[in-house]
This record gives sequence, C-alpha cells and structure tokens, in this order.
Amino acid sequence: MAREIAAPGGIAAMAGATEVLVARRPAWQRLLRTAVRRPLGTIGGGIVALICVAAVGAPLVARYDPAQSFQIQNSHYNPNVASDKGYNTTTALDQYVQDSKSAPSAKHWLGTDEAGRDVWSRIIWGARRSMGIGVPTMLLAVAVGAMLAVVSGYFGGIVDTLMQRVLDAFQAFPSLLLLLLIGSAFDLNARNLVLSLAFVGVAQVSRVVRSKVLTLRELPFVEAGRVLGATDLRLMVRHILPNTMGTVIVVFTIGIGSVILAEASLAFLGLTHAGVSWGMMLNSGRNFINSSPWQAVFSGAAITLAVLGFNLLGDTLRDVLDPRLRI
Amino acid sequence: MQQYIIQRVLLNIPVILLVVTFVFFASHIRPDWAEQRAAQGMSSTKDYKEAVQAIRHELGTDKPLWRQYVNYLGKISRGDFGTSFITGHSVTSELRGRLVASMELGALQILISLAIAVPIGVVAAVRQDTWVDYVLRFTAVLGLAIPAFYLGTLLLLLATKVVGWTPPLIPTAYREIWQDPAANLKMMALPALAGGFAEAAVIMRLLRSELLEVLRQDYVRTAWAKGLRERAVLTRHAMRNAMAPVVTIIGLLIGVLFGGNVVLESMFSVPGAGQFIVISLEQSDFPVVQGVVLIVAVALVTTNLVVDLAYAWIDPRIRYS
Repeated sequence: MAREIAAPGGIAAMAGATEVLVARRPAWQRLLRTAVRRPLGTIGGGIVALICVAAVGAPLVARYDPAQSFQIQNSHYNPNVASDKGYNTTTALDQYVQDSKSAPSAKHWLGTDEAGRDVWSRIIWGARRSMGIGVPTMLLAVAVGAMLAVVSGYFGGIVDTLMQRVLDAFQAFPSLLLLLLIGSAFDLNARNLVLSLAFVGVAQVSRVVRSKVLTLRELPFVEAGRVLGATDLRLMVRHILPNTMGTVIVVFTIGIGSVILAEASLAFLGLTHAGVSWGMMLNSGRNFINSSPWQAVFSGAAITLAVLGFNLLGDTLRDVLDPRLRI
Repeated sequence: MQQYIIQRVLLNIPVILLVVTFVFFASHIRPDWAEQRAAQGMSSTKDYKEAVQAIRHELGTDKPLWRQYVNYLGKISRGDFGTSFITGHSVTSELRGRLVASMELGALQILISLAIAVPIGVVAAVRQDTWVDYVLRFTAVLGLAIPAFYLGTLLLLLATKVVGWTPPLIPTAYREIWQDPAANLKMMALPALAGGFAEAAVIMRLLRSELLEVLRQDYVRTAWAKGLRERAVLTRHAMRNAMAPVVTIIGLLIGVLFGGNVVLESMFSVPGAGQFIVISLEQSDFPVVQGVVLIVAVALVTTNLVVDLAYAWIDPRIRYS
C-alpha cells in the first residue's frame, strides 16, 4: 500500500514516515514472539502442521497400506475338521482369518477395523482425504468469494443489493441441507464435492469480506488513489483487495475446518465415496462400538482434532490480522 | 415498529422466491434420471420410451422450462410440494408428523444448551482470566470443534458402558410425546444431549463476551456502589442486557440445529424431517428431498423473521439503525 502511493511527493513522505517509525524485527523473531504470547494459536498451528505432514507424507507416515487386510492364526483351526463331524466347520476350516476389530497393540497402534485393516494407517490417509477436499474447496471459495465481495462492496447500489438478497437466500438453507440438495442432483464424487462445498463457502466468504470492503472503501487511501486518477479496476485490485488479505486468510483457515466437518458429515451419512474418510470410518465403527470402540473413537477424535486445530489457528490469526472481525 | 415490520416482511419475499427458484433448478438439473426411475415401474407393459414419455407428460417436464417454472410456483402456492416416487404419498402428508418430532428435538436441544450455557457463561465472565475461565473457555472451544454425531457416538458408548443403559435404536420404538412421554424421551435423550452440548458452546461464548461488556458499564458500577448483592447485580441488572443478543443467536441456531439434526436423527432413529431427507436420498426419491428442503428452508426464513421482529421489540434501538 505504501509503495502504491509512493510516486507523488507529499503523501509519499507521510507514508514513508510511518514506515520508518515502526522498528521492525526480523520476521522469524516476530513469529516467535506471537507464538509465545498466544499458546492456543500455537497449539492450533501445531495441529494443523501435523495434519499437513500426515496428508502430504501419508505413504511415509502410515505404517501400512490403508487397504491391506491383516490375517491372524485361527485359534479354532482344526486340520482334522473334515473327519470330525461334531466340529463347527465354519470357524475351524481356515488356518488364517482376518485380524478384525482388534484392540490397540504394538503392531496396530490404534487397532484394526472390521476388515482387518490398520486404523492408524487409515487415519493418516484420512488426513489426506480431508485436506485434499478442504484446501482446494477453500481456495476456490476464497478466490470467487473475495472477488464477488470486492465488486459488490465497492460499487454498492443495485448490484450489491441483488447479491445480498441472493446470499440471504442461501443463508436460509443450513449448509448441510444445501449440500444434500446438491447431492440429490449430482453424484458427490471428489470433484463435485469440492465444487458444491465451495459453492456453499462462497456465500460465507463473500459475506465476511464484503463487510471489510465496506469499511475499506471509505478510507482516505482509496480516496487518495481516486484523486490521483486510478480507475475503479485499479482501486479494487491494487488497493482494496490487498487490504482484505488479513480477513481472507482468517476466513480461509476457519473455512477449512468447517469443510472438513461437512465432508465428514456427508461421509458419515454414506453420501460420498472415497477410499478412506474419517466420517466413513466413524460410521462403520459405530456398528461394533460396544465390542471394539477403537475405530469409532479414534476416527472421531481425528475429525475433532482437525477442526479444533483450524479453529484455534484461525481465531489467533484473526486476533493478529483483523481483531475487529466477527465470525 | 409497524413500518419496521412491513419493511422486514417485504425484504423476505424476494428471499423466499429465490429459495423456491433455487430448489426448482436443483430439481431440473437431472430430470431424465428421475423420469427413468419412475418409468421403471411401468415399463413391463409398455415400451420403455413410451413409458418415459408418459411420465414426462404426467410430470409436465415435456413443456418449456419457463412454463414448468410457472406451474411449479402454482403448485407450491397451492401447498403441493411434490409426490414421493416410492410411496406415492404427497410430501406434506408424510412430513406433518415428522416436523413435530424435529421441532421437539430442536426445542429439547435449545433447553439443554441454555441450561448448560447460561450458568457456565456467567461464571466464566465473572471469574474472567482465572483458571476457571480458561478451563471453561477451552471446553467451549472443544465443544465447537466436536461434531454432534461424534458426541452422540461417545454418549452412546458412555451410556452403554458406564451407565449400563442402551437407548432403543429401532424406529418402531418411537412414540409421540403425548402418546407415551417416557418412550419418546428415551429416544430423544441422547440426540438432544449431543445437539444441546454443541450449541451450548456457541451460546456460552457469546454470553460471556456480552456479559463482560455489560459488566464494565456505569449502571452496573452504580448497582455495586449502592451495595447490592452480587446475585442482584448479575441477574437483575447485567443479565437482562446481556441476554438480548443471545435471543438472536438462538434464532440463527435453529437453522444450524436442523442441519446437525439431519445426522443425529438418522443416527438415533428419530423419525424427523432430517431423517426423512436422508432416507429419501438413499432411495433416490428426489421429489421428497427437494420438497422437504424447500419447506424447511421457508420455515427457517420465517423463523428468522420472527426472531428479528422479537428482537426489535425487545430492543427498540434496532429499529432505527
């Protein structure tokens, strides 16, 4: 912003002066100070970092193939079963059976699921699924939402009123209901899931960013730009948009948490199909929760931890970047 | 006030119209699919293509889009929200009993969340920045992050393992509340608690921050200065003003609650509107999905309108902003 106004003399001197007055420490030192002062945000950032590592490095972090079904020696196995008529043949025939629904052990840190697959490995791969839906969804939502918000907030008038009414209409649907409606018309594969979640996200992003634009457009630097002959397009793209970035980053971070939650809800209801998904794991784990609660408890904990991480990080980013923002 | 009411009601008309339009287009994105499904039942006797054609004629989807839209608006204004592919019953007849169950669940959840959030919010505000405040706030942050369906799962586990009680999870065990309150509440208990906890976190955070603001105001200091007891200052002076925004958030929460209850109702076999949507979606019974979504959305717009008006009535400053 300072660089923008720097060309003509008087204003440049003022902008430059404020720049000099604030003695700036190196970026990493400032980051460290913020981290120490805001422990909750640091915890959130740590959780988010862990999830990113799990998502990116899933093949390395997971101990086994998430689809691999483990076998175990059958304790009821009886090689003489064919000649022994009185024996229960269904459990005695096979030498190996699936190692299903086992409790946590050194071999399977979080136990195994109903098909003998390693829950820990599946939770790690589930992080890839959650982030693989969450990040592209919010990137799309933020790109479209911020653009709409800047245009409608900047021009105001009839465009703005129309857009507000459309957003109000979307607001009338609880977001899960909107997703179910979209799910009734489209097959919710990964691409459609991202598109429909982003569609829901755009309404929320643009609402928040628009209110920021409304305050920004009244500020002197926008007026100054206009006096200097900047076009509407230039004012929007070079002056207002960069100043919404704090808000956008906060919305982006908190948004990923809610997208992860929405994906988990849809997967929980069995409306999406993926190789591995936390919501799916929680749903299937519910069927044998009394005999072996591991899968349900851990996959649900993964969803909670992920949402918690993004919420804590987002809250702290808001306190730092845009304290007046209310989400 | 009269002018405010008229203004708010008028503002809601285009919103409802847009909601209707959106549902209309969602239902026409893939009409062929729906028609083919419906035609499958009668394709034994007639030629398949003929059957599809007959269905198209019956549904009116062989007409131009604008004509269909006008017909759709006409149908809705007559209270016809579509007919189920599967059962052949109208959506409204199926929905009537289910809305009662959904509303009961929502009401229970709001009661539970208020019962939890109000005392906790007050304690957190009064003991600001002590360890009590930190623990309560962290619990609230956790409560915001935990999905209602996970909380429901944990409660189920807890009830079974610790309390030794398993709620009836079969749909046939459901009774309406005036038929058999005990049986009804047995079904409702866990989803009501799960949803109530999640919303308590939102209410508690809002109440805490509102109360902190109110407690710093002059009239509260006056109340302290004239020697009132803490209870009197809090309940008679501070809480009255701090609760006003909570009323608005409850209005907004009804929508959020309904979204979450789609999952909770399916989980705990509560025969509500949310469970209806999920069942219909599983059976690809799209007219039902779209009819129910439309009714629920319009109901929520109306609820929000009522809450807005109630808020303006409680706090006259709103009308002039």
